[in-house]
Amino acid sequence: MSGPWTALLPAATVGTDRQPGPWPLPAGDIGALARQAAESATAPATGLLRAAGVLATCALAAAQGPVWAEPLPAAAPDDARPVLEPEAALDALTWLLQDGPARLQYEALLRIGQAGRRLPERLLPQALELGRRSIALRAPLLTVLGERGLWLAAQRPDWAFAAGASEATGGDAAWTDGTLEQRRAWFTQARRADAAAARERLQAALPELPARERADLVATLATGLSIDDEALLDQLRTDRSREVRQAALNLLLRLPTAAHPQRAAARLAPLLVLERGLLRKRWQIDAPAAAAADWKADQIDATRPQSDALGERAWWLYQLVRQTPLAWWSSHTGMTAAELLAWAAGTDWSEALVRGWAEVLFAAPADDWCDALLDHWPTSLREDPARMLGLLAPAARDRHLLRYARAGSQPTASVLVHALNACPPGQALSAELSGLLARTLSKQFGDGVLNTDYGLRSLLSEFACAAHADSLATLDTLPRRADETPSCAEALLTVERIVSARRALHTLTPRTP
Amino acid sequence: MASMSLTSEAVLALAPDAASAKAAHGLVRPSQWPTLGANDAAVWGECQGSGAKPYQTQVDLAGPAFRCSCPSRKFPCKHGLALMLMRAQQPASFGESGAPAWVTEWLASRADKAEKQAEKQATKVADAPPADPAAAEKRETQRWQRIETAAQDLQRWLADQIARGLGVLDDTALQAWATMARRMVDAQAPGLGQRIQAAAAGVRRGADWPEQTLARLGLLQLACEALGRRGQLSAGEQADLRVVAGWPMDRDEVLAHGPREADRWTVLGSATDERDDRLTERRVWLHGERSGRRAFILDHAFGGRGFEQSWVTGTAVEATLAFFPSGSGLRALLVDTAASAGAARWPATQATDEFQAVARRVAGCPWVGLHPVVLCNALPLRHGDRLLLIVDGRALPLTVRDADVWTLLAISGGRPLNVAAEWDGQTLAPLTAWQCDELLWLRGAA
Repeated sequence: MSGPWTALLPAATVGTDRQPGPWPLPAGDIGALARQAAESATAPATGLLRAAGVLATCALAAAQGPVWAEPLPAAAPDDARPVLEPEAALDALTWLLQDGPARLQYEALLRIGQAGRRLPERLLPQALELGRRSIALRAPLLTVLGERGLWLAAQRPDWAFAAGASEATGGDAAWTDGTLEQRRAWFTQARRADAAAARERLQAALPELPARERADLVATLATGLSIDDEALLDQLRTDRSREVRQAALNLLLRLPTAAHPQRAAARLAPLLVLERGLLRKRWQIDAPAAAAADWKADQIDATRPQSDALGERAWWLYQLVRQTPLAWWSSHTGMTAAELLAWAAGTDWSEALVRGWAEVLFAAPADDWCDALLDHWPTSLREDPARMLGLLAPAARDRHLLRYARAGSQPTASVLVHALNACPPGQALSAELSGLLARTLSKQFGDGVLNTDYGLRSLLSEFACAAHADSLATLDTLPRRADETPSCAEALLTVERIVSARRALHTLTPRTP
Repeated sequence: MASMSLTSEAVLALAPDAASAKAAHGLVRPSQWPTLGANDAAVWGECQGSGAKPYQTQVDLAGPAFRCSCPSRKFPCKHGLALMLMRAQQPASFGESGAPAWVTEWLASRADKAEKQAEKQATKVADAPPADPAAAEKRETQRWQRIETAAQDLQRWLADQIARGLGVLDDTALQAWATMARRMVDAQAPGLGQRIQAAAAGVRRGADWPEQTLARLGLLQLACEALGRRGQLSAGEQADLRVVAGWPMDRDEVLAHGPREADRWTVLGSATDERDDRLTERRVWLHGERSGRRAFILDHAFGGRGFEQSWVTGTAVEATLAFFPSGSGLRALLVDTAASAGAARWPATQATDEFQAVARRVAGCPWVGLHPVVLCNALPLRHGDRLLLIVDGRALPLTVRDADVWTLLAISGGRPLNVAAEWDGQTLAPLTAWQCDELLWLRGAA
């Protein structure tokens, strides 16, 4: 609004005592009116105020914003995906994005994506905020943002995680311009289609990638992994990032015929000997007596950290064990996983063996080893059994959980914690386990347990999110007691809301893209 | 009386604050409502709260007006909102049986009250002169005199400030401005005092503060001089000066003598602002479909209490308004209760006509604070850290809450929308956005 005001501002700033006018008011009707108003005043100050009154009024009457001549940015492309419907699912979504547990949010985004739908525009800012705070939600979120969501995300730096290539661009844009999540998804797809070609794309891109992304994408080589990948993995064993080296070593454990795991086995073989006892032959294990010179080239860390519970030789043994595929043990000794575990317990080196095996197991999961460990959890193993449960396919996992639940040796809350920790978001507990747990909870609540068991109460909503669809009816009719506390009532209300939201989501029909 | 069922969005727009809306969502569970019923006139239900006795919640659809037996001071309370949300989302949960006594009695008492008010209005207009017209007139004359004397004082003071120059304004000088503002309050002209304080608050704020301050003082000068020659002005202009001085018009007087307009009014939007000391101000902006006239209804509520009349943005009401005498002719009162008349018919406008109307209103009364503008084909655009609305090749700066910025951009997607907004001469505060007759965005709904 400077223009006409420049005539009055100097005098108004220093005062009309010093600059009593006349002031260079603009030509034209408005200037003339202001001049006339000013000149008819008795004092210069009043005159200036009168002129200001004229200008202010005219400015208010004339204001309609400055001319905009710059080109307008591109609008969001049209969305091929239809918006989520029906109304009930939309209402559920509105609630759960605001107040729902993360697991429910994950399921909702996943199901909306599977149904080939996208989020309504009004919920996009909230959804992007969720994605900003939770990396875990990003993958399912990206598929339901639609063109509109990607367009919106591109306008805010902290939503950059979603500002990658759009679904419509197709081709390899997701790989060249996408976010890490999009590149991972593209790469997984590419590995399924043509593992060798995909590996070459990755190899070409690796030198430009930051360590975290290198490690992430290298781990994705697990899809379509074969001995053809050995050369690249062998090269990555010496990457400057520890994360990348570990990712490569983990994958090599899944390739028993590769040179690196074979060398590891060859180092172990002389330490594991069959000794003839009085009655029968028995395998004996010994730890290395010294570190060898060629260890370093194979990423064997001969220096025991001072804080480690293992002694130096045990540490060396553990180092060798963690580089050797589990299958070698069975084929070398003829013992099953369960027999090996029982045998290890009787040796002097059980902790080094069990720790090494567990690590190999996480890198290259094997159901028989998981089962054997979960059935007889070694006291020396400080891992969380729930993490190992997570390695198993749902059915195999539930065998252990059902055993825990039926045995009644553990409190329900503890079984729930195991079950929930092992159940990744987007998956449900089995019908059998869900049913058993829901019935147990229902009975305990009827007995008034919920009023006092804070731990159980806090797990309730998480369980409602992960329970099998068949158990929702039981959860919807959990017994209410006249003496329930307000926080109990609130917990049960949240369960009701989760159940009704999940029912609404389950009406969405999955579509193959 | 025609009633319509409200959409979830419309119901939530009635919530007094975000917490109430959230709490209401938590109660949208038919299982928590042992009784739910509805007919053409009302919706009712009993909600099991923490106490032994369920709360009785009812909504008169003619308003909609809410009533609930819960102790909440929010209005409408979460139960009322939840009831209406359920009505919108799960109409099948509502029984069709006759209304219980606690509903019919309330509806009857509301009808009674409305009738009595109409009667009171009629008798007042007909034959109820003020108790002592001479005394009232004397009081009025006295107050005008006080205000006029204050305006003369203020003029001298304003001239002093400009004679010395705005460049010397420091905190001590601004304290003298606050003193002057208080003197205006003492002289029964608090409106002038508020304008001084607003001018003081703008000093050294923003790069263009000197011209902004000068503009504010210039408008004050104009008001003082107009007060000095009040006798020569029209009744409307005198009424505007009275409002500028902070002397509210008598509502009964406006209802009795203000020019009336009966129309089907589209509710363009409403803005609720927290003023100091638990005072809530609500401005409801209306567009008359037949007359093309704009109006706003100003209400205040104290301490979280609700407003008697609910206005649902995006709907229309058949109602008669009585306008305050004014050169701008914007502010009005509702003469009788408004009957909902279905969905809004959004006006189609040209930006030039809208700003022409603003200019006409400014010409009628330069002190109008906010103007309703309806801008069609308007594109919200982020430019640096500002949000602009591009209309007809011009860029209007928008004032929007942070969360609203992103929902507005999300629903636009870089394509033009139709927007109703409050225009203060420099920035637009959007109230509502729609496209193809579909209400897409409401201020504060994010």
